[in-house]
Amino acid sequence: MKTIKLHHLLASCFALLIVLVSGCEEVPPVLNPGGSASSEVTPVDQQQRQVLIEEFTGVRCVNCPAGSEAIEALLDQHGERLVAVSIHAGFFATPFDESNEDLSNAQGANIMSLLNEPLGFPTAVVNRRQFAGEESRQLGQGQWAGYIAEELAPEPSVRIDIQNTYNANSRDLTIEVDMYAVEDVNAEDVRLTVYLTESNVVDMQQTPEGRDANYTHKHVFRKALTAVAGEQISEAFTTGAVISRSFDYVLPDNFKDTECEIVAFVHRGGETLDVLQAHRAKVVE
Amino acid sequence: MLLLLGMSTLLAQNENQNGGRFSGSLETNANFFIRDSVIGAANIPQYDRQKFGGEGWLNLNYSNWGFDIGLRYDFFHNSNLLNPTGSYTDQGIGMWYVKRQVKKLGVHAGYIYDQVGSGIIFRSFEQRPLLIDNALYGLKLDYKLNDNWMVKAFTGRQKQQFDQYRPIIRGINFEGFVRGDSLSNWALAPGIGVVARTLDDASMNSLVATLNTYPEEDLFVPKYNSYAMTVYNTLSTGILSWYVEAAYKTEDNMNDPFGVIVRDNDPIVGDKFFSADGSVLYTSLSLAPPKWGITLEAKRTENFSWRTRPQAQLNRGLITFLPPMTRINTYRLTARYNAATQDLTEQAFQVDVRYAPSRKLSFNANFSYIDDLEGVKLYRELFTEVAYKYKRLWSLTGGIQFQQYNQERYEFKPEVPLVETVIPYVDFLYKFGRKGSVRFEGQYMATGDDLKAGAKQDYGDWAFALVEVTLGRHWTLTASDMYNTDPGKNSPEDVDGEKMSIHYPRFDVYYTTGPTRFALSYVKQVEGVVCTGGICRLEPAFSGVKFSANTSF
Repeated sequence: MKTIKLHHLLASCFALLIVLVSGCEEVPPVLNPGGSASSEVTPVDQQQRQVLIEEFTGVRCVNCPAGSEAIEALLDQHGERLVAVSIHAGFFATPFDESNEDLSNAQGANIMSLLNEPLGFPTAVVNRRQFAGEESRQLGQGQWAGYIAEELAPEPSVRIDIQNTYNANSRDLTIEVDMYAVEDVNAEDVRLTVYLTESNVVDMQQTPEGRDANYTHKHVFRKALTAVAGEQISEAFTTGAVISRSFDYVLPDNFKDTECEIVAFVHRGGETLDVLQAHRAKVVE
Repeated sequence: MLLLLGMSTLLAQNENQNGGRFSGSLETNANFFIRDSVIGAANIPQYDRQKFGGEGWLNLNYSNWGFDIGLRYDFFHNSNLLNPTGSYTDQGIGMWYVKRQVKKLGVHAGYIYDQVGSGIIFRSFEQRPLLIDNALYGLKLDYKLNDNWMVKAFTGRQKQQFDQYRPIIRGINFEGFVRGDSLSNWALAPGIGVVARTLDDASMNSLVATLNTYPEEDLFVPKYNSYAMTVYNTLSTGILSWYVEAAYKTEDNMNDPFGVIVRDNDPIVGDKFFSADGSVLYTSLSLAPPKWGITLEAKRTENFSWRTRPQAQLNRGLITFLPPMTRINTYRLTARYNAATQDLTEQAFQVDVRYAPSRKLSFNANFSYIDDLEGVKLYRELFTEVAYKYKRLWSLTGGIQFQQYNQERYEFKPEVPLVETVIPYVDFLYKFGRKGSVRFEGQYMATGDDLKAGAKQDYGDWAFALVEVTLGRHWTLTASDMYNTDPGKNSPEDVDGEKMSIHYPRFDVYYTTGPTRFALSYVKQVEGVVCTGGICRLEPAFSGVKFSANTSF
């Protein structure tokens, strides 16, 4: 039987010990839980960076209610600085026979194609960015908060104001989006995308406890008022420039006007789709 | 890397002059997608607009002057391998290495494939069918303490396609071999290892930001550093071989996909980070008396999700490899329901008994039992097989498999009962001429009833038949069909809402010449869980034509 030399054994044990002991003490990260944001709307000239989160969901997705709840928790924390849209698209978005309506639509499917198909659900895209170290723009639930925090940090290069004029009788809606360039935006292709969303839509949803016919869907993507890939802005975003666009839309009867919001965001076009600033405003204040 | 590539080429040209050895291999797959929305082969980029996707791996290795160098060039063009419902395009050098043995010291730099023990605390490996390639990109040193003992140490970052994850993984491993004296017939192969992972700041900041949204009762202070350690040994004596491994992981940040967060008195089930230490106990006992082969395996897993970062999901970022506790089924229907290894809570055992009273006749029985630690039934399988060979002319194999499969847990499908299946199967092979043969496979899956849904469970009952003809050394032709004889709850419906009985045919042509093999297949395939080496994922239905070419040189 072969024997090991003592100094070899000691050296090996010593090395093992170094590996073990070196990690006993570490300075922990600082948690700062809770905190709820003000519900006040900030005047546009004081507007900070506002971040867009496009959640992809489906009524047949059992884990998606947890994702939606996580977004609500993030909205509690960040208030108006987080702009949430829930897009029903993909494999899980096929309505049940018992569903009141199909919450998915062709535009939502096109948005998913634009932003990459996810590996699983729940999933969301934060500011349409492909973050370093991620294999896709689509991010799992555990990554949303971190990238939102990262995106909230810089000052905005563009500020957005939305002014709505709405006639409740005719359901005519006129939207004016004003974009204020805070600094020069060095991009050849800058775009504006405008969505209509509706909250508190009660309809069927698969949950871990079974199908819930009274599930409340929030921030449901209803309509893109621009092209899905955005409307290219021909004017230059030079410091101090104010660029406006207006849109007319007749709100369909099945959309509850008091629950509808306009979401507008300025973003790059082409390969890089990064969102520069997002903003939302109620249709009926 | 270009330098390495150039060097390989140069060295290869000098092969004869310097006595070096050059080798390599090529594997390519090409998929032509044909949309079939009835079976669910639709609504992904390949069906909707791309129509084609493929991937390839070209491996080149060269050995000379005591060096081993190698690289692998990877291609992914609209590939659905990384994400079965997505499209992935990239190409480049997916792996390279340089190895050198300096007396007792071995140096390995670049991409490292290795493991500690059975892989529970560390295994870097490649599984191309699931596009798992979690090689460690770094440096490994190994040193032979004497003829029977060695130590290896490594550090690096885990591969992430053509990049690397940021967290650092490092480890040390001692392994030995102890044999009894010349009169005894026992031997031991003990080992001990420690692997540590340090989270990068970005992953930690992301984790902290998520924790900041949690209710106070769910908060914890996350760890940058976690350590997994293991002790293992193989005892071999005569007909017996007994492997035991015990692994422990210090407190670590993990994700529980079935976690519960209570907000406003409303419990929400879904992804939830938590912190806990964890452990795995694993043992495997093999007995091989004459004519018999008996294997007993058992495993207990608690909180052993060991990943490069806690945000990694599904088969991403795995540092651990937990041995599966089920047999690897190869027939189409017996392999339809697979028990994916559970890394947070699992207790399981498996018994495999083989008996061959003669060269002509053999028997095999296998039983798998998997629960979670709360006693929830996850998987049961009883598999039996009888094989009879008549001279070298024909052979007949047949048996029956019984399964119970917790689809709710394995596939995240709520409110579904345990899927119960009974699958008789038969496999007949008849040889003719020098190299010719014809083979027939037949299987039938009888599925239990979903009383709540008023239908058969999942997709219901299936029949499968295959004919395979081998003509000489070069050609093999197969034709098969999987037919949904009695559709179940999840089977597709026609416009009237009636469940449809759908055929899923497949035709293959294989051509083999020397080390090269071409395959051309027309495939319609139902969705299902596909597992490779204990790691599984849900694969959508496929419809289209597949072509593959493999060779080595």
